[in-house]
Amino acid sequence: MLSPTARPTRRFTGRSNHLARKMAATLAVLSGLSQWTPSVHAQEGVAVKRGGVIRYGHFQEPACLFGGWVQQWYLQRQYSDNLVARSDDGKIAPWLAESWTISDDKKVYTFEIKPNVKFTDGTALDAQAIADNINGWLSNNPDLRNPTAAPYLSDSFELAKAIAPQRLQVTLKVPFEPLLNVFAQSSQGILSPTALKRGLAVNCEKPVGSGPFIVDKWRHGREVTFRRNPDYNSAPAIAKHQGPAYVDGISWKFLPDQTVRYGSLITGETDAIYDIPAVAWKDANSRFAVLRHITGGTPLRLALYAARPPFDDVLVRKAFAYSTDRKAAVDTSFLGSLPFEGNGALSQSSPEYLHELGQAYAYDIRKANQLLDQAGWTERDRNGVRVKNGNSLTVRISYSNAFLKPDGEQALQVIQQQARAAGFDVRLQPTNPADFFAGRNLGPDDYEIVLLYWVAPGAEIFRISWKPDQNGEPNRFNPSRFQDSALWEVIQRAEQDFSSAERKGLYQQAERKIVDEAPVIGFTVLDVTLATSPSLKDVWLDHGSVGEPVFYDAHFDERK
Amino acid sequence: MLILMNGNEAVKRVAHNPLVWFARRILSGVAVVWAAATFAFLIQCLLPGDRAQIIINVRSGNVGPAAPAELAAINAQYGFDQPLVVQYAKYVWRILHGDLGESYQQHRAVAGIIAEQIGPTIVLAIAALLMAWAIAILTTLLIAGRDNIWSKLLSGAQIFLATVPPYWLATILLVIFAVNLRIFPVVGESSPMGLVLPTLALALELSGFFGQVVLNEFTRVLEQPFVTSARARGMSDFGVRLHHVLRHAALPGITLSGWALGKLLSGAILIEVVFARQGLGGVLVAATSSRDVPIVSGAVLISAGLFVLVSVIVDLAYRILDPRMKLT
Repeated sequence: MLSPTARPTRRFTGRSNHLARKMAATLAVLSGLSQWTPSVHAQEGVAVKRGGVIRYGHFQEPACLFGGWVQQWYLQRQYSDNLVARSDDGKIAPWLAESWTISDDKKVYTFEIKPNVKFTDGTALDAQAIADNINGWLSNNPDLRNPTAAPYLSDSFELAKAIAPQRLQVTLKVPFEPLLNVFAQSSQGILSPTALKRGLAVNCEKPVGSGPFIVDKWRHGREVTFRRNPDYNSAPAIAKHQGPAYVDGISWKFLPDQTVRYGSLITGETDAIYDIPAVAWKDANSRFAVLRHITGGTPLRLALYAARPPFDDVLVRKAFAYSTDRKAAVDTSFLGSLPFEGNGALSQSSPEYLHELGQAYAYDIRKANQLLDQAGWTERDRNGVRVKNGNSLTVRISYSNAFLKPDGEQALQVIQQQARAAGFDVRLQPTNPADFFAGRNLGPDDYEIVLLYWVAPGAEIFRISWKPDQNGEPNRFNPSRFQDSALWEVIQRAEQDFSSAERKGLYQQAERKIVDEAPVIGFTVLDVTLATSPSLKDVWLDHGSVGEPVFYDAHFDERK
Repeated sequence: MLILMNGNEAVKRVAHNPLVWFARRILSGVAVVWAAATFAFLIQCLLPGDRAQIIINVRSGNVGPAAPAELAAINAQYGFDQPLVVQYAKYVWRILHGDLGESYQQHRAVAGIIAEQIGPTIVLAIAALLMAWAIAILTTLLIAGRDNIWSKLLSGAQIFLATVPPYWLATILLVIFAVNLRIFPVVGESSPMGLVLPTLALALELSGFFGQVVLNEFTRVLEQPFVTSARARGMSDFGVRLHHVLRHAALPGITLSGWALGKLLSGAILIEVVFARQGLGGVLVAATSSRDVPIVSGAVLISAGLFVLVSVIVDLAYRILDPRMKLT
């Protein structure tokens, strides 16, 4: 439900410690760790050129250098460290925590924190500092609350505390297996508690972490400059080297216009750029190194309001899906730069993704008509729109360019025309971002369909999308308003299952149910793309997270 | 009756006193700024949507209603839970103390944010004003009163430039002169070379307006007797145009410059976004789309103040330059 051209994200994935369930999970985890212990040295024996400043052309400028928006994660990834990291294949790796154990009842996590790590303001990065961060994320203090961590953990989290200077204990009320995935996301980077006391005004401007780069200066409207942290000693096990970064710094420029952004790379004014424009996709692949990460979590999907007519009837939801050739609409509008995704529940880069669901509800107008007849929408008015009990089959689609690229609007117009053939009267409700965030066209009676997404590593996103309303508190992240206690039961069982195969099976069971009930219909994938000049080497996207660009291992070759 | 007449006379005299005139201008200026401030306050209260809700959603990138506890914390932080009258009084009180409030999203003082960004915007606007004048004068000198293919082409070009959207022009200039020909940098930042294309994109449109206005006046003046007499003295055609005609023809254009500065400031906002230049543009666009009202209302207030200032200066300048103008 979140993010727009780039908004929040979350993730999670099945990871595993295959351990006999009864055994102390502790052992399991520890054994899993051994593979990470020798820190990987990418260029062992090869001298890597040091120095130089990476000029990076980014897209959007956030209002604060950390927070819940994925644009903020990208920045935070450069200057802060996380408790743990997550590798490309979804395994959890040491970072600030060198090792950890999980109690038999899966409710107590004990982390051994790497010694001798300091924040760049000199504050010691110990167990207490991390506990302060975590407790702040789950508090209601607007200065400390973490809008990414809170929706995942608020039901399960109890307390974080330092039980020794380098030993952190996190206690949960109920087991929650994706906990470490949540800790591995960049928005959960650990910040200096001393610095946090300065208040948001200062912290947004000059946050203090322990990462490979230090925020030097933010020239608003232009760039954030980072300089190398010369004392960096806390790289994650998934990095390609240890110790300080190779380059002297990063000039992180904000270039919102795609012509300027891509043009700057062509003319050599930048060394890397974010979000390659669709029209330049082919050109970029022939000239530059191109990195791409398809984000996990939900795809960009159509959420159908399932709490009132007409979409309270599953037959009508399915009929709408069959009546629209969404693949053709997406292919013709995005010119192949953004692939179609038919699985509305989960994005294809999520470990639990089921490929057979990627083609769900392929265009079939006959089936659509049959289902509508079966649902009682048998009459048509003189415009060909179906009518039942005097009500027209009207479908209002709310969307905002905060969550949809301009080409997507064209795809919606195609869908509008296609659905007409089956008797749907589709009306588009474009909404400007400010009004959208204010709730315009999003009230309970304002839409039948809304376009939203939420990036995450994988199926842990189900908790956020499909948690039913509880204790009078509606789940604000469920725009379908689809409530299914059986589905929620399966999701919770998955979250509490520490066997990776079983958990994956449970999540896939939930995934099938979601696609089958069709409260959401797939539309497109979402991706992160980066083009880098040939002289800049070893930039990588954090595939274990949500594709944040990582400049820690990057270096220039001899030509530069 | 006598007293009354004397009174009227006194009133007239007082009204013509430069100090009184100046004081009146200042007072009316303050009234304009106050009205702008009140307008900005009302707008933020009357716009649909709960303010706390928007702040939370924009910060987290979510949509949908936030939990009551979260809303309460934000309402308390910004005083949204107080009666509107109290909020308004506090708002005006803060403005009187030079405090424009704190940005909801950047968490910094609005005055500081605007102060930091307004410099490059003013530089761009003034550079564009000068360039627009240079282009308009040059083309006018060349084409006024002539009836050939070049004058028709240039005049047509002026009309085209006056009507074309500057952001479109900006992109075209960028692709040709920066990306393809590489004469100017794509990411100009604050270098003088980087100022050229944004200035041109902004100035071309205005030069079209100026050109058309000056051209009409220029053509009229060309037919005046003193022009004929200057020619009779043996002055070259270009010399006559430059030394005699232009001075007269430029007057309406100067009047237009006050309006133009306002237009340039607003135009600069779009151009800055296209060229990724530092300035009020990027900040205002972001603040508008995230409804960061303190920044937007701060900018409204500062612009109102600027306009008041410019119009006072223009009026003063008229009085000094043209004694026929009475202070009214």
